Amino acid sequence: MELRPIVSALMRHKTGTLLVALQIAVTLAIIVNGLFIINKRIEKINRPYGINVDSIITVSVRGFGEDFDSGASLREDMDLLRNLPGVVAATSINQIPLSGSGSSTGLRSVPDETATSTSATIYNTDEYGLTTLETALIEGRDFYPEEVEYSVPGQAQRDIPPVVLVTKALADKLYPDGDALGRPLYWPSMEPSTIVGIIGHMMGSWPDWHAINNSVFQPRTRNNFRYLIKAEPGARDSLVPVIEEQLAELNRQRLVRSVTTHEDVVTRTYEADRAMANILIAIIVLLVGLTSLVIVGLASYFVSQRIKQIGTRRALGATQIDILRYFLVENWIITTVGAFAGCLLTVAVSYLLETNFDLPRLDYSYLLVCVIALWLISQFSALFPARRASAVPPAVATRTV
Amino acid sequence: MFSYDIWNALRSMRRNPILTSLMVAAIAVGIGVSISMLSVYHIMASNPIPHKSDQLFRVTLDSWGPLRPYDDSDPMKTPIQITYREATALMRTGEASRQSAMFETGLVVEPDSPDLIPFETRARAAFSDFFYLFDVPFLYGGPWDKLADDEAAQVVVLTPAINNKLFGGRDSVGEKILMSGRTFTVTGVIDRWEPMPRYYDTRNGPFQLVNEIFIPFTLTPRMELWSHASSSNWKAEKIQNHAEWLNSEAVWIQYWAELKSDLEVQAYQDHLDNYAREQKKVGRFQRPINNRIFNVTDWLDYREVVPNEVKVLVALGFLFLVVCLLSSVALLLTKFDGRSMEVSLRRALGASRSALLGQHLMEVMVIGFVGGLLGIGLTQLCLLAIEAMISQAPEYMLRMDWQMIAAAVVIAIVTSVIAGLFPAWRSCVTDPAQALKTQ
Repeated sequence: MELRPIVSALMRHKTGTLLVALQIAVTLAIIVNGLFIINKRIEKINRPYGINVDSIITVSVRGFGEDFDSGASLREDMDLLRNLPGVVAATSINQIPLSGSGSSTGLRSVPDETATSTSATIYNTDEYGLTTLETALIEGRDFYPEEVEYSVPGQAQRDIPPVVLVTKALADKLYPDGDALGRPLYWPSMEPSTIVGIIGHMMGSWPDWHAINNSVFQPRTRNNFRYLIKAEPGARDSLVPVIEEQLAELNRQRLVRSVTTHEDVVTRTYEADRAMANILIAIIVLLVGLTSLVIVGLASYFVSQRIKQIGTRRALGATQIDILRYFLVENWIITTVGAFAGCLLTVAVSYLLETNFDLPRLDYSYLLVCVIALWLISQFSALFPARRASAVPPAVATRTV
Repeated sequence: MFSYDIWNALRSMRRNPILTSLMVAAIAVGIGVSISMLSVYHIMASNPIPHKSDQLFRVTLDSWGPLRPYDDSDPMKTPIQITYREATALMRTGEASRQSAMFETGLVVEPDSPDLIPFETRARAAFSDFFYLFDVPFLYGGPWDKLADDEAAQVVVLTPAINNKLFGGRDSVGEKILMSGRTFTVTGVIDRWEPMPRYYDTRNGPFQLVNEIFIPFTLTPRMELWSHASSSNWKAEKIQNHAEWLNSEAVWIQYWAELKSDLEVQAYQDHLDNYAREQKKVGRFQRPINNRIFNVTDWLDYREVVPNEVKVLVALGFLFLVVCLLSSVALLLTKFDGRSMEVSLRRALGASRSALLGQHLMEVMVIGFVGGLLGIGLTQLCLLAIEAMISQAPEYMLRMDWQMIAAAVVIAIVTSVIAGLFPAWRSCVTDPAQALKTQ
């Protein structure tokens, strides 16, 4: 196949050809950068929670009134929840994992204020915490019931618990040699707690946080105005209204602010990421659709312009395959020119996104995949008009217009 | 001539229905995607109080600890909130014409009516100046007076939603409400007030509705109010009770002042720096003196309230519009090329170039106009889709205002004329003799 006649034919339609090539270039730049962002979001959403989110119900309460005894109220609520049919386990906690709000601290392996601290989410739970979250220890032990501190009116609280559990990510940060079990960690006040157990993996409260995998558990229920309830399989949704009603009736000095599934909480947390991915997917689908329609339109026009020419070639002995190939090669040239320009544009756009909007650096394998995909889509779009061209009978050449 | 042009344009559009509808669709989709992204950005990045955004100032002080800065990545950044100690000291000594410390808390409302169960409401503890600083509109009554600030009176300003719930929407000024065990007197009910972004407290949700009631800040110690929003502390302090909390180095209070001239701004800045110097003498403020005040627009920039995601989507949306524009030009070229016979014939019969150019442009403008109208419809659909995906976004954040509608129409017509100019011009400069001869 000679490229020269095709190129010289294209040169007669310079503007149209260039425009389509340019369109392909911009399309490539959007698709590559868009897909990259989408994939990053999906990776983020799909990170393992380390918690069985699907079976958990979350509750938020608030006590009021002059003589509200938060410790007594908590015990009462826990008794009620743990005895409800359909409930496997229940615990109280200071913040809901993956909810987007909570509290954190800076921890060290040495009692030295000038040493760099490691950030971690702080959870306060009782001996049922890990069971309810369905997160497992890989080393050491869980809290003993007698280690858990409850608030008692008029009694000062301990500030630092003697024992804590940490996630493996946090343990490795504090003790990179992997010997964290049994060693101390130092709070910002430089007081130590002993690490008695290491949790394999569990995500903290803020998915965007760099230290999302670092968490520390304290055995206490002070300020635990949130409850986590693990339901039996299939019982979760029917338990939500039951819990809401029974908790409200149990104590008139305590508000039930909300009862909702943990799944809903997590869905809400990732809402913006999901929306971003969906919007970009929609843009890409529209873009691919539009560009292929334009390729079809332009190729059809080229074909209709050259009906007579095609007839002549056919009369001179060109086969249907020759004609088909001619139009496909023509399309391939346009796409390739566009893709080449598109690669440069993609790099430019990704550089601008990276520097202006703090996006991660583009992974260039996306570019390769998208160029190949674009070739295929574009050839596929040109196939329909090219087949029409190849069906032009040689007799057309002998007719006058 | 005009009606002839329109007639010709419509006739020509009908002759090539596929190309024409493709062009209309390209413009409509381009407008729909780019304008919906722009609408969201436009609302998020808008100036919430244009007439005095350069007179309202957010006050920040670097009270952070000696070992490391508040923000490791930028040591010049000051903590965005201030401590209770600084808040009370500035309220006492600050020389702004109006100023208010404030924070978000929560109260439990215990309604009189047996039909209503106690419920929690968000509440903002602030000074009476709050309402004047931010030009808060009132439905009934008004702010409490300065005396109430000084005496820490149990007074409250309600939102319409709470007023509806408790008093059926009637004028409730002077009524009593039991909240967190204390009786409050209603002094006013604010009207619908939706500053967007909610600039006075960007930390706790810049795009949330104002769904909080207001009580005097000075009630904080007596009612032992805690911040329901973020707080942070550089110092490891053992906080056992509320008094220790108020005396701690924790930052959890927002502070705004109204300063009407550069002179006042300078005086206030000097006042802050002097305050920091005084504090250094008692061993606080151990970092270099770095107190910064920001007007509303600078503050919104500094806090980066518009998420980068939205900016990326606007950028990609407009690249998408470029693709649509390129498609339109390519399609128009094709279309006008296919008509060279007709153009040549009309030229040969005496039609002037400008008449033909006018006719082509008319066709392009009709396409642009129809595409733009469809684009506005599509924009609304896109915004509805975004609303369905983001349950937390207030509905008015995803609304197309008249500016955006105008932008859509202008972009549609301008882009289609730009897209049509070259093809139309080229089709009209073709030498008629040449075109006719080749047939």
